[in-house]
Amino acid sequence: MFTRTDDKITTTQASIFISSSVLGAGILTLPRSVVSAAKTPDVWLSILISGIIVILMAIVMAKLSQKFPDKTIFQYASNIAGKPLAFIISTLLLVYFIMIAGFELRVLAEVTMFFLLEGTPIWAIIIPFIWLSGYLLFGGINAIARLLQIIFPISVLVLIITYLLSLKIFDINQLRPFLGEGLLPVIHGLKSTVLIFSGFEITMFLIGHMQHPEQAIKAVVTGLGIPACIYLFTLIFVIGGLSVDAVLRSTWPTIDLLRSFEISGLFFERLEFPFLVIWTMQMFSNFTCYYYGASLGISQLIKVNIGPVILGLMPFIYLSAMIPQRSNDIFAVGDFIGWSSTVLFMIIPLPLYLIWLIRSKGLKQHV
Amino acid sequence: MFKCLFKLVSTLMICTLLLSACWSSREIEEQSVYVGMALDIANKSERDKQLEAQGGITEVDSLITATLQIVPIKSVKGNQPKEEGGVKKYLNDSETGDSIFEILRKYALKRDRAVIGHHMKVFIISTELLEKIDISTLSDFILRDNDLRPSCMVFLARSKAADALETNQPDEIPAFYIRNMTLNKYRNNEILDGVILTNLDQYIESKQSFILQNIASYQGESEFAGAGIIKGATGKWIGNLTQEDVSSISWVRGEGKGGLLKAVNDNNKIIIYEIKSLKTKIIPKVDGDRMTFQVNINSEGRLIENWDNRVDVSKIDVQTRMEELFEERLATMIQNLMNKLQKEFKVEVAGFGERLKITHPKVWQKVKKDWDEVFSDADVNVTIKLKITDYGSSAE
Repeated sequence: MFTRTDDKITTTQASIFISSSVLGAGILTLPRSVVSAAKTPDVWLSILISGIIVILMAIVMAKLSQKFPDKTIFQYASNIAGKPLAFIISTLLLVYFIMIAGFELRVLAEVTMFFLLEGTPIWAIIIPFIWLSGYLLFGGINAIARLLQIIFPISVLVLIITYLLSLKIFDINQLRPFLGEGLLPVIHGLKSTVLIFSGFEITMFLIGHMQHPEQAIKAVVTGLGIPACIYLFTLIFVIGGLSVDAVLRSTWPTIDLLRSFEISGLFFERLEFPFLVIWTMQMFSNFTCYYYGASLGISQLIKVNIGPVILGLMPFIYLSAMIPQRSNDIFAVGDFIGWSSTVLFMIIPLPLYLIWLIRSKGLKQHV
Repeated sequence: MFKCLFKLVSTLMICTLLLSACWSSREIEEQSVYVGMALDIANKSERDKQLEAQGGITEVDSLITATLQIVPIKSVKGNQPKEEGGVKKYLNDSETGDSIFEILRKYALKRDRAVIGHHMKVFIISTELLEKIDISTLSDFILRDNDLRPSCMVFLARSKAADALETNQPDEIPAFYIRNMTLNKYRNNEILDGVILTNLDQYIESKQSFILQNIASYQGESEFAGAGIIKGATGKWIGNLTQEDVSSISWVRGEGKGGLLKAVNDNNKIIIYEIKSLKTKIIPKVDGDRMTFQVNINSEGRLIENWDNRVDVSKIDVQTRMEELFEERLATMIQNLMNKLQKEFKVEVAGFGERLKITHPKVWQKVKKDWDEVFSDADVNVTIKLKITDYGSSAE
């Protein structure tokens, strides 16, 4: 291995980057939000369907980015839609990234305070994370990708091990009846399952950093396929272990699954602690992805160095994390982010792609 | 040079700030760990009255007495010379109030070490209290708190719940003891699967009736004694099932992986069947408004005890006759259970609803609100097939 100085990442790194941008705090509340929308155990079907939808959405983004090698959305948007429109688009995306970064950080802090560090003030948890992440961002996309490459396998491995150990309380009857109420609840569940993939918008600036942009589709499909599988397992294990009714009454169902059994004889009797500690790293990578997206966007938009932008963003991210007051506000922000993810897709990559098609294929313009 | 030194010193100083210690760490030696909690109807003791007169107790109508089983640190510390046998390894401490959290925080007023609940293993409610206050109210704090793990088990007590946390065996901690007793299910099907707080959550949310294992206790001895029924609609205790009924429920649910069946033979002597395998299938049939449940019980087992030395158990016709006797006996047991569930209490706690939910989800959606009443009018047919596959190591 050697240190790269160009701002390029490999296809594997790009996949992991996309996976990390999706996998974060969402997994802790996912079962409740999905089950309360659908109220049947069939919600795992919703995840499969929404996974496919999201992958299709991401492919559109990747295709679009492929047309402009070495450029990010913040740069190529003006080529397609003109400067003023591009400015609005980029600003929307930046606000979205800052919001989601703050949200992820806040959930990380809330969970840590509730289960691990009762009594530690919230700023003492949030500020070190911002500093650490900022320090990482100075290393550029290569440093970030490397770190994600280290963290990702560890957190996924620990997640899978804890799920397998939860087989102790798994009851297949909790997942039955299959399609007992027909397909309608599954469709209802789609709403909230699409939301948990929010964050894959980073695809729009990531492809420009790929060493082999021609493999962008591959990177996107694996990068979103992995979280889709993980979400699927999460739903199956949590509902099978806790039952639909208990999931509805639990604020953090995934953690409650791990809290519902004890393993004697193992080094850890209580799995929620090792899991949370490891998953904190994953939430950190998740947060870093958005922080990077926001800094990169601002620096490219107003054409300044990324360094001051990283530092300048710190207070805004802190504010964005601290604005929600009650836990209900936090969950509301989460829902809002999910919705804006869908809306952003509708108003950014899709129209841009169509405009590009019309201009290059229809009007034969050189874009 | 100076710049370098400055950098080093400031880094070290920041390190000491950040790495010195856990923010809110508390030494485990300075905490009291409670491992069990029992809830009873408040009975104002002389002490309470005295303290109240001096302004020591919040002057509200006290409703609940919570007893915590605290594992004192001294017994954990080790290295101390062991005192003679009979030293209790636990301490039961009661407090009275009308909110569980308030009661728990009252311990801060009277104990030098704070009580913490990370290791709570059992939660026992007296049936008397559960008759007055519903279970979702009583368990609300327990389910909400972040210290208490949902893996804690729930039981009922027929007498005072606090008595179930007493034992006269030295070196035993009743909370652990009771929890471990549920693991004996493979030896006796009168034991129910342990109900943890997660299951309780599920029952409360689904508003279906359910049963919890009863604990009977007398002078420091506790044992499992049947089960208490909690009505889903009200969340209150409405009655008890005997040990035999619990055993029947295990048969119907197909849960008794171990256990026995006792019958008398034609000469009025006791014969015992030990379950080796058990397969139960509940088949719901819905015909308009009429609901029928076909219960098929298939089991293989061993003739493990025979008090009649006049019969030769190795003969096939003797075995067949015994199988019939066992089947009749089990049919009577289940019939008794059904009478109790359908006529006396009008509740369903034997897993018929769960089965209907899987096989007829549409019907279930319609009837789940008043399932207890619907079930009371349903027909239950039981078909039992027991097979004595062997008679142990004595052929006589």
